[in-house]
Amino acid sequence: MDFTFNQDQQMFTETLAALLAAELPADRIRQRWQSDSGIDAALAAQLVELGLPAMLVPEALGGLGLDATDFIQLAECCGRFALPEPAVEGALVAAPLLVDIIHGNPSAAPRLTALLEELMAGEAAVAVGHHLNPYVNFAGQADWFLLGHGNAVHLLPASEVAITAVKSVDPSRRLGELAWRPSAATLVADAELGAACWRATLNRGALGNAAQLLGLADAMVKQAVAYSADRQQFGKPIGVNQAVKHLLADCAVQIEFARAPVYRAAYTVAQAATRADWAVSHAKVVAGEAAQLAARNSIQVFGAMGYTWECDLQIWAKRGWVLDREWGDAGFHKNRVHEWLVQPNALIGPEYTFGRGDQPHAR
Amino acid sequence: MNLRSNAADEAFRREVASWLEQHLSGEFAQLRHRGGPGDEHSFVEERKAWERELARGGWTCIGWPQSHGGRGATIEQQVIFNEEYARAGGPGRIGHIGETLMGPTLIAYGSAEQQARYLPGIREGREFWCQGYSEPSAGSDLGNVKTRAELDADSGQWRINGQKVWTSWATESDYCFVIARTQPGSVGHKGLGFFMVALDQPGVTIRPIEQLTGSAEFNEVFFDDALCSAEDLIGGPEQGWQVAMALLGFERGVSTLGQQMLFQNELDQVVAAARDNGADRDPIIRQRIADAHIGLRIMRYNSMRMLAGGEDGSLSKEAMIYKLYWSSWHRNLGNLAMDVLGAEAQLLDGDGYQLSRLQGLFLYSRADTIYGGTNQIQRNLIAERALGMPREPRG
Ligand SMILES: Cc1cc2nc3c(=O)[nH]c(=O)nc-3n(C[C@H](O)[C@H](O)[C@H](O)COP(=O)(O)OP(=O)(O)OC[C@H]3O[C@@H](n4cnc5c(N)ncnc54)[C@H](O)[C@@H]3O)c2cc1C
Repeated sequence: MDFTFNQDQQMFTETLAALLAAELPADRIRQRWQSDSGIDAALAAQLVELGLPAMLVPEALGGLGLDATDFIQLAECCGRFALPEPAVEGALVAAPLLVDIIHGNPSAAPRLTALLEELMAGEAAVAVGHHLNPYVNFAGQADWFLLGHGNAVHLLPASEVAITAVKSVDPSRRLGELAWRPSAATLVADAELGAACWRATLNRGALGNAAQLLGLADAMVKQAVAYSADRQQFGKPIGVNQAVKHLLADCAVQIEFARAPVYRAAYTVAQAATRADWAVSHAKVVAGEAAQLAARNSIQVFGAMGYTWECDLQIWAKRGWVLDREWGDAGFHKNRVHEWLVQPNALIGPEYTFGRGDQPHAR
Repeated sequence: MNLRSNAADEAFRREVASWLEQHLSGEFAQLRHRGGPGDEHSFVEERKAWERELARGGWTCIGWPQSHGGRGATIEQQVIFNEEYARAGGPGRIGHIGETLMGPTLIAYGSAEQQARYLPGIREGREFWCQGYSEPSAGSDLGNVKTRAELDADSGQWRINGQKVWTSWATESDYCFVIARTQPGSVGHKGLGFFMVALDQPGVTIRPIEQLTGSAEFNEVFFDDALCSAEDLIGGPEQGWQVAMALLGFERGVSTLGQQMLFQNELDQVVAAARDNGADRDPIIRQRIADAHIGLRIMRYNSMRMLAGGEDGSLSKEAMIYKLYWSSWHRNLGNLAMDVLGAEAQLLDGDGYQLSRLQGLFLYSRADTIYGGTNQIQRNLIAERALGMPREPRG
């Protein structure tokens, strides 16, 4: 078992981090809050150029043919910079869902392949409406929608979807509530294919959020650490106090201990996204907890300053609060872990701890 | 120990309830359940009018002695009043800083002239107060206050220069109690005075600070040669720290009772939301609701114990735990509220950045562990003052 990332993976992450460091200082995020679309088209185009939306698409379909283990650090990086653009969803949710349907339903394949190409080229935005998420982020910017009706998947152009904009506590988001009508013409995956597609999609969506939550948590702690060195009280930096150190040390422990499960879940999703429920749920729960603790303790370290609109910490804190509840909240995911554990034939025990998945251990 | 209420108390309860029922009507009906944490900005003028209405019925400052215009209400009666007030959905009290902090401080430390000058305005709901302690470089380290006060020998007035920050309610207030340095070059707790400063004067500039809740309850307050008459200093020019600390003692006293009733209302709302959306079927949510209830009862019993036995100061150490306990409890209630709401938790209603009451509860409770002494400072106090552990070196 090897949790390390290879050089290509590292380089990809560093490239993205350098781009976001240059293009996405906090004041740019605040500028987006004032705009209708909430999206910076130039940055979105640069992310396409980097190949983000094509990453998880097989080479045969014109993509880069990589998998979730290659993408996971990028998702984390998007969280670290609190990227408002839905890049993680495009790459990890919309594109793979299109691929799954293309593979499963040859009759819809030509249409969907064309759409997938547009998605990879940044020419079309595809939003996904899963029943766990009553509101779709950036619905107003989407050209196409992949929507669930029962287990079936329908593909609709924006013109056939009525969107009611609703506001999020995170001003970086542009949520919409959707109204639409399924028809034979819009059906792209029947209930049987759709059930598998949605299951995989939920796992990818929750994985993407888990990784972003990790990045958010990390970034909040970094800000608090820096502040604890700058801010003086009682004639010395507040960070010299153990009470302050311990607040952030606790976060560091939680974040590090969430990281391995998130990477582990990425691996499982890469192997078989439909059979990654327990691994993803584990990751989502612990990453969410790490982000909640980081938000709480970082605000605490900033004191009253952390409670102001002006303090950038709120950008990360509010994103964390929102992402923790998307693609299933902690209760949902704990229940999934629980259900998996109480199955009579649950594959638990030491021989399953390290990634043998559902292959019984050969003795 | 006697935990039973007597017939007189029950009669008092009926009196309060029926008065509130009659008076929270007409123009005031719209104020029910408004103005709590996260909703501070609704109906400010109407709530000030409500303070005057309360005053006309003799329901402000009921715990003050009769000699100062209060009712001399017992602790039990004050609890009853607060319970009934919460039950009736009485609006958030704009007058509470005056009633529970400034008033008791004046009664304990003010001169007869000062009492005569300021107590009636508080009691009658005409004059409102805010607290000018914190400064940019004096948060937890309150002794680092830098605002200066100089006595102008000719006019006999104090001139105040400096800046306060995080001053809640300054824009809605008439007066601010300010701690300022009267001795140039003094440091720490020495050389401070406690001033009652009128805010409506050219030397005072108030600038609201927007909070992450999108509202602006607190403010920056700048003093540029602001004037304060020599009669408006409580205690001597070097006794400000003692007065300021005594005032904080009142903050941990009876004023907590009203807050608990508000907490009860919030918990009720969380429970109602869980019933509404089915979250109450989730066993984890059910347990957390039970925990919240238990915590609230603990606070209630504990403060009854403190308040009833606290007059001789024998429970002053026990009283130190209260702030840490309620702030952590309230923050957890905020988390619970959001978990009950699930995906809905992130939705804003209406124009601008308008939080729902439960969202307000969640975001507002982030500050509870900060103001009035952070949780870290509270723990230090408990360890060093109550348990007598060795003190951490300061400064
Ligand atoms: C909503 C709100 C309303 C407020 N209203 C008022 C008001 O009306 N009037 C007023 O005067 N003030 C008000 N305040 C200010 C409040 O009293 C201060 O925020 C508080 O005292 C903490 O100071 P600070 O924010 O400067 O944090 P800092 O003192 O800078 O503390 C930052 C962090 O360092 C920690 N820390 C600092 N020193 C130590 C130490 N020695 N040991 C361990 N940890 C330490 C703190 O716990 C905190 O986590 C308000 C604050 C808020 C948030």
